[in-house]
Amino acid sequence: MHPFPPSPLPKATLPRRDFLQQCGGGLGGVALHALLAAEGRAATGNALAPKLPHRAPKARAVIQIFCPGGLSHVDTWDYKPELQKRQGKPFDPDGKLQFFASKPGNCQGSFWPFRQHGQSGRWMSDLFPKLAHCVDDMAFVHSMQSKSALHGPAMFMANSGFILPGFPSMGAWVTYGLGSASEELPAFVVLPDPRGLPPGGVINWGAGFLPAIHQGTTLNTHPGQAPIADLFPQNDFSHLKGAPEQAGRDFLQLLNRSHAAGRAENTELEARIGAYELAARLQLSAPEATDLGGETEATKALYNIEHEDIGPFGRQCLLARRLVERGVRFVQIYCGAENTTARKVRPNWDSHEDLVRDHGYWGAVLDSGAAALLSDLKARGLLESTLVICTTEFGRQPAAQGAGKGRDHNPGAFTAWLAGGGIRGGSSFGETDPLGFKAAVNPVYCYDLHATALHLLGLNHEKLTFYNNGIPRRLTDVHGHVIQPILEHSA
Amino acid sequence: MKALLLSSLLTGLLSAPAILRADDTPLFDGQIRPLLQKRCVECHGAKKQKGELRLDAKLFAFKGGHDGPAIVPGKAADSLLLKRITSRDEDTRMPPEGEPLSDTEVAALKAWIEAGALWPENDADRAASSDTRGQHWSVQPLRTFHANGSKLQVTQPAANGLPGGTKTLELPPDPASPIDAFLHAALLEKGLAMAPEADRRTLIRRLSYDLHGLPPTPERVERFCNDTAPRAYERLVDELLASPHFGERWARHWLDIAHYADTHGFERDQLRPNAWRYRDYVIEAFNADKPYDRFLREQIAGDALAPNSAEARIATGFLAAGPWDFVGQVEARSDVLKRAARAGDLDDMVTQVVTSTMGITINCARCHDHKLDPITQKEYYSLCSVFAGVKRGEREVSAEDAGRLSSQKARLTTALAGTRAQITKLAGEGIDLAKLLPEGSAIDLRNGAVTTAKQGYQSNIQTNRLQKVTGVPGVLWVFLPDGRGPVTVADKQEVKGVPPTSGNFWDAIANRPLNAQRSTKLGGTDYAGKQHSLLAMHANSGITFDLAHLREKGGFTDARLSGLVGFGADQAAAATRADFTVFVDGALTLQRLKLRKDETLALDVEIPATAKTLTLVATDGGDGIGSDLLFIGDARLLPGAATTALGEKDAAELARLRAELQSLEAELKQVPEPQKVYAVVPSEKPPVLKVQRRGDPEDEGPEVTPASFAWTGHAPAAFGGQDTPEAERRRALADWIVHPANPLTPRVLANRLWHHHFGQGIVTTPSDFGLGGAKPSHPELLDWLAAELLQAGWSMKHLHKKILLSAAYRQASTIQNSAASNLDAQNRLLWRQNARRLDAESLRDAVLLVSGRLNPERGGPGFRDFKYTEAYAPIYQYIPPDKPELWRRSIYRFVVRTTPHQFMSALDCPDPANLTPARMQTTTALQALTLSNNEFMLRQAEAMAARIEAGDGPQSARVQRAFALAFQRPATPGEERAAEALVGGQGLFALCRMLINTNEFVYLD
Repeated sequence: MHPFPPSPLPKATLPRRDFLQQCGGGLGGVALHALLAAEGRAATGNALAPKLPHRAPKARAVIQIFCPGGLSHVDTWDYKPELQKRQGKPFDPDGKLQFFASKPGNCQGSFWPFRQHGQSGRWMSDLFPKLAHCVDDMAFVHSMQSKSALHGPAMFMANSGFILPGFPSMGAWVTYGLGSASEELPAFVVLPDPRGLPPGGVINWGAGFLPAIHQGTTLNTHPGQAPIADLFPQNDFSHLKGAPEQAGRDFLQLLNRSHAAGRAENTELEARIGAYELAARLQLSAPEATDLGGETEATKALYNIEHEDIGPFGRQCLLARRLVERGVRFVQIYCGAENTTARKVRPNWDSHEDLVRDHGYWGAVLDSGAAALLSDLKARGLLESTLVICTTEFGRQPAAQGAGKGRDHNPGAFTAWLAGGGIRGGSSFGETDPLGFKAAVNPVYCYDLHATALHLLGLNHEKLTFYNNGIPRRLTDVHGHVIQPILEHSA
Repeated sequence: MKALLLSSLLTGLLSAPAILRADDTPLFDGQIRPLLQKRCVECHGAKKQKGELRLDAKLFAFKGGHDGPAIVPGKAADSLLLKRITSRDEDTRMPPEGEPLSDTEVAALKAWIEAGALWPENDADRAASSDTRGQHWSVQPLRTFHANGSKLQVTQPAANGLPGGTKTLELPPDPASPIDAFLHAALLEKGLAMAPEADRRTLIRRLSYDLHGLPPTPERVERFCNDTAPRAYERLVDELLASPHFGERWARHWLDIAHYADTHGFERDQLRPNAWRYRDYVIEAFNADKPYDRFLREQIAGDALAPNSAEARIATGFLAAGPWDFVGQVEARSDVLKRAARAGDLDDMVTQVVTSTMGITINCARCHDHKLDPITQKEYYSLCSVFAGVKRGEREVSAEDAGRLSSQKARLTTALAGTRAQITKLAGEGIDLAKLLPEGSAIDLRNGAVTTAKQGYQSNIQTNRLQKVTGVPGVLWVFLPDGRGPVTVADKQEVKGVPPTSGNFWDAIANRPLNAQRSTKLGGTDYAGKQHSLLAMHANSGITFDLAHLREKGGFTDARLSGLVGFGADQAAAATRADFTVFVDGALTLQRLKLRKDETLALDVEIPATAKTLTLVATDGGDGIGSDLLFIGDARLLPGAATTALGEKDAAELARLRAELQSLEAELKQVPEPQKVYAVVPSEKPPVLKVQRRGDPEDEGPEVTPASFAWTGHAPAAFGGQDTPEAERRRALADWIVHPANPLTPRVLANRLWHHHFGQGIVTTPSDFGLGGAKPSHPELLDWLAAELLQAGWSMKHLHKKILLSAAYRQASTIQNSAASNLDAQNRLLWRQNARRLDAESLRDAVLLVSGRLNPERGGPGFRDFKYTEAYAPIYQYIPPDKPELWRRSIYRFVVRTTPHQFMSALDCPDPANLTPARMQTTTALQALTLSNNEFMLRQAEAMAARIEAGDGPQSARVQRAFALAFQRPATPGEERAAEALVGGQGLFALCRMLINTNEFVYLD
């Protein structure tokens, strides 16, 4: 049972190599090489062997920055002069509304002034001085909405399209649809905030009902620790390394081969032998990929990796670039945590009581890392084949939370932005109402964002399906439209 | 003008008005049908039904869609179809893409509707209106079987318009099992045959893993291989089925379907400390061979069927086994959010019950009628209504026990209050510490000011800094202790012994319940009541009283501090801890560390006449401040013995009363909490449910009453009206599901058993027997198994044994048969057994068994292989499995939803958010890394090596022992040589480590 849909277009109409070269324009030799290698690997039954997309892709990799807790659109990307004008006036004079944790207070304009930037003249608040230089590469979707005002379900929705746990995340779907372009690294890598996991935990990057091979692999970025769990023996067993390990492996494979000899019909056995060989290669490639020692001082400075507060996220962004360079298909970076005992400021963007304090802190973190990532990718010519997405699970209210300095959850409106990988820089889609309370023009859910990302990767979101308990499931459920206006014309 | 234009258009188009006659097929088929096909059916047809409307067949077109009838014959103006194609609003005009319909096309449609909208039926219309889904194989009555000598008569009863019939099957003398006869017949048709029987070692390994999830011991293998008795195999099957390990293994399969775990899931993934009782129920049910119909009835409605049975009540843990969103259900203040969370909750229950028992994907009918199966949205919500009166929660396993314990508590509490009153009478009133503060007010820890404003989370207060309290005579200071450095509790008074804390705080020190407090009761006494007082002191906080002032005020010299410290938190919430410390003049006088949420601390501290300050400190117990809603009930300074210059008799009485107080308190502490289970809590009167259009709780349609779907038609599916009591609804559904005429329940179970014995079901979609599911490879065999189950009074062990004794099960899996491979690569015909990989639990347990470390302890609370830290979203950090408690079988693992165990997940242990009828099997490099390097594996390899080293004999004997433990076979000479070389270089550990990584260890022939 492997209901991956046949890819009708390329196979039927173009000789294989022609197709690869045609779509290779934005892909470079890596994809060509990887896709050709697929033919060899598919034969060995490798579930992660590269698969042909439904159409010629614009992007070959995705880096998704996720800002958990609820990033306030009205203080960042979504300019609302009318809200500023109504500063201090009652937001809900009839007292009919009930937010997640509070009754709305008065209208509260952005805590940071907005300015226009770049040739496109897009508005952005002073919270992001560095990203302001990148607006001409970014496309904003201002009319995002969520189906839940609760962190857990809304996180699940943003990642998997469903407010319930148990559904595959976008990274898992992409890996399922495209396989891996790297034989030495996992296809879907997650870099959680060093302070802890986001709301909902590791199942945010789970494979749901897809085979476990598609789940995100968490990369540990603490210095001195192995980047992948169980990459090497730990603690009392950390002496187990080097040449003696090879002797054990040789013995293992000797037994495995003689066992397999009498069981030729069971191809799984051969695949498992291959998995141990791949594991040995991973022991070499993963430390190399995560070692920042080889980066230039200029690069390290660009990502500000030594800074106490903004350095850890800069490090994640730099790692993401290194992983994408090495063929990783989907990297998800978390800018904020949840279940942590960190002090002083909120551990993520969930600014209920003091937005200036918390967004002030996290804004600087995101600004520095994301701007470095965009400019670095661009300088290396990687941006055109790498789709960068920055999103959150919901926005925040245009009214103050009660009488305080914070804002409550707002599932009715938020902004996501995209860059690279076939995105038309400086564009935007959708609008909120004049106060930023609800998406008003072209309202969308994550379905459209997901459909667009899959589209750029060459996947048709309606054809990427997997049978589970009676339904051929999709990332986009029964919804989703590609957001054409933010795409380059050729995308 | 417009009318004129229209009529001229019509004339042009239709050539003559007379053409609009009732029986005119050419107009409809020539113009209208092609137009609908071309411009409408892409979105309103068989594949998509936007707005629930279909225009591809007559039946649907006239039924209309979500917004109402699309076509009103004779009334074009009332027909939505016309309104939508002519709308001026671009957002509502149809079709949404491409050019709008031309004036000519609009006019044609209008004229057609005005003329009566005649729609002559063609084949497509007729096919749409004759619904054949009632003839789907899985809802037909079970075939009946009649053995007559060597012949087996199979009768398919006529039903649902299907004719039925009888055929005869030749039963071969050997093997005698009809199971093999069915399989033989199908193989014979393709010219194939079964593989020969596997060897004895393979058979015992297969049986042992299959029935116990564990390998056999080398000794048991030896015995079986040498057992020449004709019924040796059957005796082994009996032995394995009778072992308690059988339930431990098969409960895993059922818990997969029940998506059982020990935490809530979602954002605030809290513990369910009493969920395990349901897990043990399942294990015991399988071991006791509880009839399957009873097993199901108890799980769906046990509390209703047998109100006094603890077992039956625990069984309903089934309904509550899935995830539950604490934030949406409890914390959210918005009713919209709460309704959405509740709708998801009911969906989870209904889906679990119907999918697990009958293999129907009922949840597909939540937003619209089921797209494949004939199940309406209304039927879905009728099923929800069966469960409308139950919620998930902690429930006492025995109402009787709980009542007894609670009255015992009430008696002791009343006695305590009486004794306290007598003491007060003799010793004097003293001073109530809470009431030093005005009613309802609080002291702000940030500045010592008295406030009535609501306070929340405080993480920005400087710790260990005294804040002078003004305006509360008798109170000197408050502070936020962090215990990392010295803590100052009064002027120049540094103390030691305050435990380290997180340095955060919630709310204020208050003469009122805390903002977030859930209960003001301790031991049955409500301290918010009139006769009592409540001093709230959330951890972390400290307060220092001025004894000189209080002494003067109370008119006493020496004194006693009395009161009861406890939590104002929900008992059902997690097992948080906190500390409470008392200092007198800076000297540590009383300290209780790690007080649990379900415990209290009685204060009785002597305070000398010379003492100047009294300091009370609440700290967080090292697990964060979450749920540390500490307060002191009736905190009082009572006059001491010296003050109360009592006569000898009164003094003696006072001493007696104090002793009595202590013994009553001790007795109260002895009263256990009633046993609980995480299950469902029913309400008297279930709320009325309505259809939720498009699954949106805010868009309600007609009311529904408790009922199920009509598709199977095996028994009436209506279970009453709005007045039907809660218990009655679930009982009726349970009876409907296990009704002897229900063809699905026994078929689904028989297939599940088959699936686990062969690695593949007769139906390969074990939880989908609907039109979207797979068809049975051997429909008659499936029915025979189902009938056999019913005939044996729903005994599952009976069916297991029938399957296990078949020649089909005993076949070798390693046979090469290229003819068969070519014809049937998937082995659907079972020309051999299927080789299988161990699942995560079996692999872990097998490693523990061969290492000699498996802890056989059965039942009880799950083992927690993680460190738990209380927080808004609790933190689970896995710890090295280095103690016997953590070497229990995997079925007893405490399963955390948001933080799956990385070792288990890597081996395809599923996310318990999903109903999992069949395990996935992936082969990855990460798996290889996990098995070769994970600390669990390495420690067990070490233990296995130590176990072998303890034995006598030469190196070769040790190598042989290692092979025997891991594979239950001797090493070949070649293997022995290679193994000895490895052991020579790196020791036995290296050999053991590799043996438990081999394909032979991980795969079963």
